[in-house]
Amino acid sequence: MAGFGPAATRPHYGGTLRVEIRESPPSPEVFGVPKGFVLTTWEAGRRAVFTADENAPGGRPFLDNVDIQLARSLRDQSVDLDLGKADVVELGLAELRRHAAGRRVWPSSPVRLMALVFGPRISDARVREALALAVDRSAIHSVLLQKQGEISGALLPQWITGYAFVFGASADVAKAQALVASLGPADRTLSLAVDDAANRSIADRIQLNARDAHLTVSIVPTANADVRLVETRIPSADAPHALASVAIAFGLNEPAPARNPEEQYLAERALLDGYRVIPLFHLPDVYGAGPRVQGGPVIDQLGEWRFDSLWLEDRP
Amino acid sequence: MMFRTRLLLIFAVALTAAVGMVELIVSSSARRAFENMEARRVNAIVAQFDKEFHRRGEEIVRTVEGIADSAAAREIAITPDPSAYLSEAGKFASTNRLDLLELVAGDGAIVSSAQWQARFGYKEDWLASEPDWQSRPAFLKREELPDAVTLALMAVRTVVAGDMKLYVAGGRALDREFIASLVAPKGMRVLLYRNLAPGFAPSELIDAGGPVASSSLLRPLVEQVETQRREAFGTIGHGASAETFHALPLQGRDNDVLGVLLVGNSLSDLVQLESSMLRTAVIVAVIGILLAIVLSWWATARITRPVQRLAESAGRVAAGNWGATVEVASRDEIGQLAAAFNRMTHELVEQRDRLVQAERVAAWRELARRLAHELKNPLFPLQITVENMQRAREKYPEQFDEVFREGTSTLLAELANLKQIIGRFSDFAKMPAPEMQSVNLNGLVAETMRLFEAQLGKAGISASVQLDPALRPVQADGEQMTRVLRNLILNAVDAMPNGGTLTVRTVAVGAGVRLEVSDTGQGLTPEECERLFTPYYTTKTHGTGLGLAIVQSVVSDHKGRISVESEKGKGTTFRIDLG
Repeated sequence: MAGFGPAATRPHYGGTLRVEIRESPPSPEVFGVPKGFVLTTWEAGRRAVFTADENAPGGRPFLDNVDIQLARSLRDQSVDLDLGKADVVELGLAELRRHAAGRRVWPSSPVRLMALVFGPRISDARVREALALAVDRSAIHSVLLQKQGEISGALLPQWITGYAFVFGASADVAKAQALVASLGPADRTLSLAVDDAANRSIADRIQLNARDAHLTVSIVPTANADVRLVETRIPSADAPHALASVAIAFGLNEPAPARNPEEQYLAERALLDGYRVIPLFHLPDVYGAGPRVQGGPVIDQLGEWRFDSLWLEDRP
Repeated sequence: MMFRTRLLLIFAVALTAAVGMVELIVSSSARRAFENMEARRVNAIVAQFDKEFHRRGEEIVRTVEGIADSAAAREIAITPDPSAYLSEAGKFASTNRLDLLELVAGDGAIVSSAQWQARFGYKEDWLASEPDWQSRPAFLKREELPDAVTLALMAVRTVVAGDMKLYVAGGRALDREFIASLVAPKGMRVLLYRNLAPGFAPSELIDAGGPVASSSLLRPLVEQVETQRREAFGTIGHGASAETFHALPLQGRDNDVLGVLLVGNSLSDLVQLESSMLRTAVIVAVIGILLAIVLSWWATARITRPVQRLAESAGRVAAGNWGATVEVASRDEIGQLAAAFNRMTHELVEQRDRLVQAERVAAWRELARRLAHELKNPLFPLQITVENMQRAREKYPEQFDEVFREGTSTLLAELANLKQIIGRFSDFAKMPAPEMQSVNLNGLVAETMRLFEAQLGKAGISASVQLDPALRPVQADGEQMTRVLRNLILNAVDAMPNGGTLTVRTVAVGAGVRLEVSDTGQGLTPEECERLFTPYYTTKTHGTGLGLAIVQSVVSDHKGRISVESEKGKGTTFRIDLG
């Protein structure tokens, strides 16, 4: 949850907030503009600079500029934060376990979905279901994710739909073994790719769980693996819109817009039938801030930046 | 086989056997010495392994104890939520240079694993099975890794804080680095087979350089140790690449064979030594055989030359030269044999001379007897006739003329008889040498039989002439052969006074011819058959007994052979074979 500095100072204007993120949006439109700022510099894949809007509706932000480094790995961000080269960074799983170190951390609501997404080679649904039943989400959530986010078997988080708990997310190794027993030897071998190296430990655990179900999973660097461990952002709190976005992101058929929660549920259920996508967790965006950063939070519930509420305390 | 060859073979075999035996004994001694040395070296390696094994075990125990005694471990032991310590084992392992380290909660759940971080929460039940880990030394354990299984030397210690417990299980892999720390003498090598999975895995047989190339050769030995759980020995390879291996089981806590230590010793030195000895033996044997040839040549020359001369002399004796002698060149057994041979031939010659002399005397006696007998018969009528004539002149002068006429007639007849007897003896004595020419025996038989047709018919004898048309001409004296045939026919006629059948047959026998004359007369006894060709012997009341002797003489002069076959009461067959 939100943390505050031990000795808050009075807000004042000025300064450039140095932010690092791992994403690299293809265009400024996709990137979005923080409230109270205007885009002044865009270097695709490298850097975006926002400058305070003097005419912002809620008043000019305290900060003069926000300089955002794009496509920065979580490990590098953490190092930069420790070295004082960055003020605000995303925190990965390793950094979450260092939470006790007293760093200021702001998590959002769960706005990202971590899931296993199968490629076209795995045509037998029993293989996909076996892997879904083999994964012990609770151990990963407790230890590797440090209880951040939620265990989920649904595409959309509970706080958006209210029915996510209906989708089963518990492991059943015996059933998974029974399914695997009915497979041929060639179908018991899978390759798993991890989109983000920060999630490698989760992939390792999934590999171990799969082995318990007598599936042989090898972790490979290539993108055209049988199954990928991926994260995708849920872009909206509007369920139909969010479901459509997630479906497109995972290569599923885009569902028709639902008119009520029942249709929404059935649409999501239809997407998950066949286990092409195995939802694992809904994760928050977690940002950590350096000691110069005052005010906050850095992000709101949906993970949107709230740089307008921050100011910088200059330190020697 | 010649005596010389035999002697040579005996020499060669004896020498080769002697050399082979020496080589065998020396080889056997060398092998035993080599084996003893190898055993000492293997024991040294095994002792070194044990020492290194225990040293490393103690080191691991100390390291694990150090971790267990640390404040950090104590903090992990007492924390209610150990999830934040996921990476602690890795840090401990890195700091303490351990390959393997797991921090395990009192309930057996892994809190943190250095070798397989993802295994947090999995149970290690084997830790709870040991009531007191504090006094346990290091032990071998098969340890699973994410992508393999390894053999490790492990130690376990516990951290106890109140009712909370934390197991610290750490160790180091038993790998090629461990093997590299063992110093093997030249010609020896140390291998380690890590029994990590069911069945033999060639890649798990390692030496200081990594997996061993010829692992499949050692498979039977490794499997033998695994099965029998005790030391085993074996040899792999052939010739100079042969290697003996001593294999020792490495057992874990449950006495299961987790690894096999193999100490190999190259046999190349031994093989080279044996090869060298064999080479030497072969050279010695070859030289020996050559020497044997020379010696046997010399020895046999001394022994066999007199024997050979003796054999040649014996051959000459067999050929009729009874006076043959050999040179007595020594006084040994061979010399004595030669002297005895000379004595024997000398005796033979003397006996022959004596026999010839006796036979000559006997012959003269027989001749005198026959002459007396033959001449006595005509002389007696002569004497009577002359006495009758004398008596008639004195007492009956008037009848003298008539008596004289009859007497002179008788005298002339008897004198003619005497002349005939003397002529026969003269013929036998004057038997000329045959004049050989090509003779058609069939024609000779046919012609002769025609001359006898009238005589045979008068005697009531039917003639049967069986001539082989395939008969080839032979080299013979036609006149003498005619005489032979006549004599045989006359004999047959005499043998059949009451008539019968005379059969004359010619047969081609191989390259020669056979002439048979058979009668159906009284036949002869075996004793008569034996004496039949003896001069002056006859079974008839008249005749000189020279007919068959002449026949035999002629046949003998033709290098032929005559035989008689007779059965009493059925007849006799004379058979002549000519080359």
